[in-house]
Formats: sequence, C-alpha cells, structure tokens
Amino acid sequence: MTPIVSVKDAVKNYNLGKVVVPALRGVTLDVVSGDFISIAGPSGSGKTTLLNLIGCVDTPTSGSVEVAGQDTRGLSERELTRLRLNTIGFIFQSFNLVSVLSVLQNVELPLLLQRTLSAGERKQRVLGLLDRVGIREYATHRPSELSGGQRQRVAIARALVTKPQLVLADEPTANLDSVTGQHILDLMRELNRSEHTTFIFSTHDQKVMSYANSVVRLADGKLVDRVTPKEAGVSFAVVPS
Amino acid sequence: MSGRMETVRVVALIAFRNLFASRLKTVIVGGIIFFGALIVVVGNSLLDSVDASMSRSVIGSVAGHIQVYNGKSKDPLEVMGSMSMGDPDISQLDDFAKVRESLLKVPNVKAVVPMGISGALVTSGNTIDLALEKLRGLVKKRDAAKDEAERTRAAALVAAEKGHVRQILSVLQGDLKNTTVLLDEKAVDKDDVAAINRAASDAFWAEFDQKPLDALEFLENRIAPLAADSDLLFLRYVGTDVQTFEKSFDRMKIVDGQTIPPGKRGFLFSKFVYEDQLKLKSARRLDLIKEGMEARGETIAKNLDLQRMVRENKAQVREVLLQLDAPKTAEFRGKLQKFLGATETDVSALLASFFATDDVNFAPRYDFFYKELAPALELYRVRIGDVLTIKAFTRSGYVQSVNVPVYGTFQFQGLEKSTLAGGLNIMDLVSFRDLYGFLTGERLAEINALRATSGAKDISRENAEAELFGSKPVDDTAAAKATAGKGKGTTKGTTEKAGPRHITATATPGVLPPGGSDLGGPLTDKLRRDEARGRVFDSAEVRQGVVLNAAVILKDPKKIPQTMVAIEAQGKADGLPLKAISWQKASGIVGQFIFMARAVLYVAILIIFMIALVIINNALVMATLERVKEIGTLRAIGAQRRFILGMLVIEALVVGLIFGGAGAVVGAGVVKIVGRIGIPATSDIWFFFFSGPRLHPFLGTSNIVFAFLLVLLVSAFSSFYPAWLAMRVTPRQAMAEDE
Repeated sequence: MTPIVSVKDAVKNYNLGKVVVPALRGVTLDVVSGDFISIAGPSGSGKTTLLNLIGCVDTPTSGSVEVAGQDTRGLSERELTRLRLNTIGFIFQSFNLVSVLSVLQNVELPLLLQRTLSAGERKQRVLGLLDRVGIREYATHRPSELSGGQRQRVAIARALVTKPQLVLADEPTANLDSVTGQHILDLMRELNRSEHTTFIFSTHDQKVMSYANSVVRLADGKLVDRVTPKEAGVSFAVVPS
Repeated sequence: MSGRMETVRVVALIAFRNLFASRLKTVIVGGIIFFGALIVVVGNSLLDSVDASMSRSVIGSVAGHIQVYNGKSKDPLEVMGSMSMGDPDISQLDDFAKVRESLLKVPNVKAVVPMGISGALVTSGNTIDLALEKLRGLVKKRDAAKDEAERTRAAALVAAEKGHVRQILSVLQGDLKNTTVLLDEKAVDKDDVAAINRAASDAFWAEFDQKPLDALEFLENRIAPLAADSDLLFLRYVGTDVQTFEKSFDRMKIVDGQTIPPGKRGFLFSKFVYEDQLKLKSARRLDLIKEGMEARGETIAKNLDLQRMVRENKAQVREVLLQLDAPKTAEFRGKLQKFLGATETDVSALLASFFATDDVNFAPRYDFFYKELAPALELYRVRIGDVLTIKAFTRSGYVQSVNVPVYGTFQFQGLEKSTLAGGLNIMDLVSFRDLYGFLTGERLAEINALRATSGAKDISRENAEAELFGSKPVDDTAAAKATAGKGKGTTKGTTEKAGPRHITATATPGVLPPGGSDLGGPLTDKLRRDEARGRVFDSAEVRQGVVLNAAVILKDPKKIPQTMVAIEAQGKADGLPLKAISWQKASGIVGQFIFMARAVLYVAILIIFMIALVIINNALVMATLERVKEIGTLRAIGAQRRFILGMLVIEALVVGLIFGGAGAVVGAGVVKIVGRIGIPATSDIWFFFFSGPRLHPFLGTSNIVFAFLLVLLVSAFSSFYPAWLAMRVTPRQAMAEDE
C-alpha cells in the first residue's frame, strides 16, 4: 500500500525569543492509507509537533513531510490551508466547536469552506454523518447544550464531513471519562474500517493505545520505536473492550 | 457562485451570533456609535439650520451675497454692527453708476444696491420743548386769527396748552424739591430754583397773556434746559437707493407708515430702534414685561429682570406726568382712581401704584394702559411724518445737518429683535452723502449757483496768476448757465418746482442764503422742512454719486467665491479699485459665528469618534483574543485568512451600521420633532442666530449620509488592528490547551 503520510528526517525547532527549542530532532515515519495508528510519548516528547507537521499546520525546519503525495515544504500558506481543507480532518482534545453555531452548522462548516456541494447535498451528507455518530437528534442544538462525549462526536463528524483521506486527532479522549473515551475510540475505529479513512491520534494513555494498529513511540523529539499496542503496553494490563 | 454566497452567509451568521453572544460588549460599543451618529446628525442639522436662517436673514437684509467696496480702504468693511466704536475707514467709490455698470458685466450678478453705512447723534424731542413750540404756534394762530370765532377757538387751545406747560412746571418744581431733600441744598442752583418758581407763579402766567412772546422766550431759554428729559440718540443708518434696496432685499418689510418715495429724502426707522429707543419708556417696559411673560414663560415673582422693570416703572412716572396737561391729569386721576379703587388724588402716586404690577394683575393693567391711558399720550418721541434733523460729523470734520422726514418703520424679518442687526435704520442716499460730506450733485449745483451770484470763479492752479491779476475776462454767467442747464437736463418733472427752492433752503452753514431774501428763522425752518419733503431727486442723480459700498445680489448664490474673483477682475479691467468680500466676512463677527460653531462641533465629533475608535478597537481586540482558539480551529479545518478577516470586518460593520444607523434615524427623528416644535430663542442673541423667535431645524440628507460614512469609517478603522491580530492566529493555536 502507498504511504499517505511520509515523514523523512523531519526536524522542527521553535524560536522562543533568543532560545531555540528543538521539538523534533529528525523523525522518519511512513503511514499507509487506511491505517489506524497512535503516536505516544510523555508530554514534551514531540507528539503534537509531529501531528502539526503531518496536519500541514506547520512545516519542518528541515527534512520533509509528504501528505497525500504533496511535499509541504514548497507550499504557500494558502495552499497548505487548501490541503488541510480537502485532505485532512481534525479532532481536538477540547473539541474546538464554534460555540455560536448549531451542531449541524458546525459539521457543515468545512463543506461551506470547500464550496463544492449544493445546500441539499450538504444537508444530506451532514445529517447522514450525524446519524452515523449517533447525535442526529441534537442537530439543532448548540455545543454548549451537549455533553463532552456528544461534543466530540460532533467534532468527529466535522472532521469526516469532507471525506478526508486522513484524520488527525490530538489526544481525543483526554477530556473525557474513560467510558465515553472508549465509545469515542470505538466510533473512530468503526469509521476507519467502514470509510477506509486513515486515523492518526496522539495519546499517552495505554488504554487508548491499545486501539491502534501500531504505536509510534516518541521521546525527546526522536522516534523511539514503532510497535504493536501489546508491545507498547507490556508493563500494563491491557484489557480490550 | 451559490457556494460563495453561502460562505458569506455563514460568515455573517457567525458574526451576528458572536455579536449576540457578547451582548454587553456589543451594546457598549454600539451605544457609543449610536451616540456619535446622533450627535453628528442633530448637531449638523442644527448648525445647518442656524446657518441657513442666519444667512438668509443676513443676505436678505443688508449684506447681499457679496459686498463690494474700495480696495484702498484702510479698514475692512463691516455692514453689521462692528465691534469697534465709530465707523471703519472706508474709502469712497466715486461714481456708483460706473461701479454698477462694471458689476453688471459679471454674468452672475443680478442686482447691485448702493450703500453707505454711518451713524449720527440725534436729539429727540424734549417734552417741554414740544409743548412750548405748540404753545408758541397756538399763540401766533390766535394773534393772526381773522374772525372772532377763530380767535375764541384758538384762545381755548392756548389756555389748554398753558395748562400743560404749568403742569410740567409743577413737576419740575417737585423735582427740585426732591433734589434738595435727597442731595444737598448746595447741589441745587439757587438761580434755577428762582427761575422755576417764577415760571410756576400765577403772576408769571397773568403776565403771559400780555406779553406772550417774552414769556415764551423765558420759558424756552431758561426753563426748558432744566427739564432734561431729552435723550441723545445714536442712530446707525444705511444710506441707500431705497427702491432698489427693497427690491433686492426680500427680508425688509415696512411695518408702519410707508417706504421713502422714489427720489425723495427720507428716513425709515428700524422697528426695533423705534420701539426700543423712541417709545415712551413706561410703555416699552410694559411691552418687555409682557413679552417676557408670554414668550418666555417668565414670572415677575421669579425673574429679576422683570422685577427691575416693574420697579423702574413705579419710580419713573415723571415721563408720563410731563405729558399731562390739566384736562388729561383730571382724566387720568378719574380713570386710575376707578380702576384701582383708590381715593388717592395725586396722579403721580396713582401712576406709581398702577405700575406696581405683579403676575396676577399684569395682564388687565397692560390692557387698561393701552386702551385707556395710551390714547392720551404721545407714545413715541418721533412720530411718523415728523421731520428729523440729523447732525453728523462729516469725513472732513465739520458738522453737517440734514432734515429728513420719517416715512415709517421697517424690520428685517428674522432680525426684528436683534440689537446686532436690528439697529440699522435706512436713509435716502442723497441725505447720506450730505451727512458723510460728499459733494452731491445737488450741492454742486448749489455751490455753482452761489458762485454765479457771488462772482467767484473756478481757478486752476496753472492760471491762478493770470486769473488773479487779470488777462482774460471770464464769462461767468455763461458758466453758471451751463451748470444750471446741466442740472435741469438731468432732472425731470417736479424738479422744475423744486429747482429754485433748493438754493435758499439748503443753506450751507456759514454761507448766507443768496438773493437777499428776508426769510426769518422759523420760516426758513418751515421751508427746510418743506424742502425735505418736497425735493425730488431723479434716479440718475441718486446713482451717479459717491457711495461707500455696494451689495451685490447673485443669480446663483452657490457661486459666491467665483463671482468674487470675477468682480475684482472686472473692476481691474474697468479701472475701478473694487474689492469683493463674501457676506460672511462683510457681516463681521456675525458671519464668523457659524464658522466657529461648526469648528467646535467638528472638534467635539472628532473627540467623540476618537474615543469611540479606541473603545471599539479595544473591545474588538479583547474579542479577538478571547477567540484565538476558535479562529485557530477555523484556520486548521481549512478557513483562509480572508475568511477570518471577513468575519471580523462584518462584525464591526454590522455594529456600525445597526447602531450608527439607529443613531442617525433617532437623530433624524429628534430633528424632525424639534423642527416641528421649534427651539425658542431665549434672548436677543439667540433671536438673531435663529433669525426669528424660534428655530425650526430641518434635516439635510447630506448630514445623514455624512453620519453614516463617518460611522462606517470609524468601524472600519477600529477593526484594522484586531483584524490584523486575528489574521496572525495560526492553526497551531487551536491545539494549544489552556491549562
């Protein structure tokens, strides 16, 4: 299978005033299409930075990141934005819904930015997706009227509404209780299987890692290894649901 | 395409929802914009209305659109009450006809009105003088009576007038007594006391019938100066061609009497001056109290000014008293006793208690005064029809006097009560030239006639020696005929009659009337009065002489600056030193007012909008900072920067449009309502600015458009910085977790 994400020797340094903080010190990683992988590591290990590079939110200081066959280094700000819009879906740790829009409008937003579908097609797609994530009856509610799990379902629907090849999730269950978190992961896994969408999510939770096909472990900005969840959770009692 | 519309819709939706979500902030920001727009609309409308009404009054009364005067003048021209005392130093324009011709060549000029503004002191009649004059006339009439019936009638009138004079004398006696009590024996001249006592004695009046003229002389020379009730009046007047003036200035309206007939000497009092300066003071005060109570809703109980006027009316009954002869005194006593229900017999005390008005009894007393008392009184010191003698210092410094009949009173609508502009009276141009010391055609003819009779010759400097020591005889009769003929050639109709008369009538001071006429003093006086009434000048003479300035009325008033340039250029081409100034400048401090007020308003608006800018900017920055995560998320999921920019700009514009629009609409409503009710002018100065008793502000569409644009501009400006901040938000900031 062809890799949808190809990271080669990616280095990312952040300038904090006079100090240069290295966030990634040369990471090489390939993710094949349809994969369901977890990036793990303690905080400060570079998980979010790696996700940002893969998500075209940032470009590497050196090395290269290819997403869906596009090298992000040569792209302008506008082109990166377009790449994100059409190829990538985002799920955030704290859901990041637009508070003043309804559930339906939140999910519809990326389609409106794309401007490819008619109003009818958009509505059909959004409602279908809300059905899939199980919150269709809340379509007209505001995010503030929903529970954390429901909100994350809205966020998942929003990430998937453009049928992206890749969905990135930054600690998607960190703000949820464990049962709800498991439901969310189940939903992601199911969508991965049915839609063949590639999922990459970061976590430091062993239980969450166990859902992944493989776990990419980072430490101090370097890739430590790429292992199976079982190998990663060797010191923990992993109980799949 | 529909996709783009959809995007705009969603951007607007987010913007609206955000505004609604942060209601308090929106209301505060919106409130400032609302207030700003309101101020702009109301303030500008008020100023525009004042500007319009004031300019209408100023342009339509004396100033015209443009004033033209001699560019060599030392002082700037000020047609409406200047701040400095005395007249500004304006050089004359020698020939108005030429000036007029030159000005009329400028395409935009519709009419040209000749003018000269100056002022003079006038002594208005002294009651005792008038009474004595009347008495003298009656005595003469009695002595000249042809039959017995006429003599009896005249004798009765003499007796009545004698009563009046005696009444005045008793008032004077009372005055002297008061002075002695209040001040000091020494403050009163013993001779004066003796003189008055003599005049008041029965013996004096017994003697009067034998030698009336001697007695009258004593009264006129010795007593009249002691009754110092005459006032020196300072009259400002504009000398002009009254017919052209009336046609050109639509604001001028005759109130009493009639206008000065064409070609005649004459004087028109400003109604304001006539009421304020010439009316019987007690009556004037009653009018003012009534006006204060009715027009401004003041009460005697509370208003200090009204109280002062009531006190003055109580204390100063002398002016009324002096006018009362014996029958009138009796009449007043009876009427006042009945009206007041009093038993007091002293009319002075009765009048004092009558004038002690309060809020309750004022209205009936006012009516009683005008219905019952006023008909017996001379309400104005100068009546319409009287001949006014005006004395003025000419430019060269000698005193010149002119007799002008008072034809009536006029007012400039809108400036009726303004001391600034309402103080200007109107005089015919010929009399003005006489007073100003110009050599008028009439005077020139007169001098020529004098020269002819006296044999004086016109000698030029070069020929002086030859002329003096004789070489060639000069035919001066021919010269005199030539000038006389010239004079006749330019005059028409009635001039034939008036021609010979003017030589004797308008005697230049210091020069004896020629022809050795035996005209006595009073008779000359009578003739002078007749001359003042009868003499007719033709329009050519009125036009051809000297003027100080000219008002120019334009066809298109919007082109004032261009026309001013054209006028000066035309003047140069015609060799005339013309200087043109706009009506604002010509009206001096008055015209500057609007400019100043507008400057103040604009500064205020500027400050308000600067504050608005800062507050709105601050609020939007806060809003942006609060929404960094949301903006980052939108950027992460694929929103371009311009989407974010659009969102913020729409937010600012929506607030600006809704609240600014509401402010403009409410402002417009306020202007409309106030326009219907009107703002009352509470004092003379406001009366002037409002050009009437009430200002009815109107709404200019330009003001609403201006307010709207200003609000949009402010909204746009204030969203620049926050928008820039928002555009710098990166998608990475969506990931950041607030711990």
